Amino acid sequence: MKLHQKSVLSFFRGCRAQAPDREGILLKKGARNTSYQRRWFVLRGNLLFYLENQADHTPLGLILLENCQVEPRLGATEPHAFTILTPRVEGTGGRAYKLAAENQEELGAWLWALAGASCRQLVALLPTLEAQYRELCQAAGQEPSSPPEGCGFVATLSTPSSFQELHEHFGKEIRVLQVVRGRPQ
Amino acid sequence: MRYNEKELQALSRQPAELAAELGMRGPKKGSVLKRRLVKLVVNFLFYFRTDEAEPVGALLLERCRVTQEEPSGFSISFLEDPERKYHFACGSEAQCQEWMGALRRASYEFMRRSLIFYRNEIQKMTGKDPLEQFGISEEARFQLGGLKA
Repeated sequence: MKLHQKSVLSFFRGCRAQAPDREGILLKKGARNTSYQRRWFVLRGNLLFYLENQADHTPLGLILLENCQVEPRLGATEPHAFTILTPRVEGTGGRAYKLAAENQEELGAWLWALAGASCRQLVALLPTLEAQYRELCQAAGQEPSSPPEGCGFVATLSTPSSFQELHEHFGKEIRVLQVVRGRPQ
Repeated sequence: MRYNEKELQALSRQPAELAAELGMRGPKKGSVLKRRLVKLVVNFLFYFRTDEAEPVGALLLERCRVTQEEPSGFSISFLEDPERKYHFACGSEAQCQEWMGALRRASYEFMRRSLIFYRNEIQKMTGKDPLEQFGISEEARFQLGGLKA
């Protein structure tokens, strides 16, 4: 299968003037060479890029974060270690990326950022917010306006997520952070 | 740039926003229109030969422009290279409109902008941050933050 790299690179490069969702140094265990390499990671949306150096024009690689599981990895040789597990769907996929942060605080921040990095979460959240906005406009006798650049979001899910489902979904992220953070300073 | 093909394949098997058999023509001069099963999954567009389980290819739908080319045809190009167009031929004008709408809404960046927009508007009208109930109001990716220092 051919991933049209120009489409990905144009996204990576085009967004460099804007602050990413998160970026910084992480240690990455190689696939064949099992030592940890220092890499510069850039998270944008549901894509995690890694570069040899912060200023590089082209990333070394890309990890798709849709439906991933992110977990701290206790008992690893590196401290502050965690794993990104990509999903297996119909017997394909399913790779564990072994990473480590430089300190506990970085670990917590990355876990939090990665746990929330999927499109589907936004898709789940948007109809609720749009509906809330439209109701408020109606109550105020105001004409609703649309988000900039393009048509207003139209709910494309057949059943909108209930508050309970959404609460569960985001509650997962909070629990991850609590595990990592432990006792407050 | 390295990527794991299996990750992409796994993504291509996830539930699609839209899927249909369309005519597709690549950006190179002399490209021929071919029938492909085109599948929109989150912010990726996969296309398959009609009988095959594995996609022929995938496009990331960020920073792209979707343009109507004919009553029942549209193109996708990327902001950094607007002359390079992927052409799609639909079965009807209605199908063309459906696909164009879905593709324009498919990018993570569009959804994020929309979320920030609604959050802001709701906060202005109610004085309350609607993201607080989900425990995500502090998330960097939902802030209005723009350019790097």
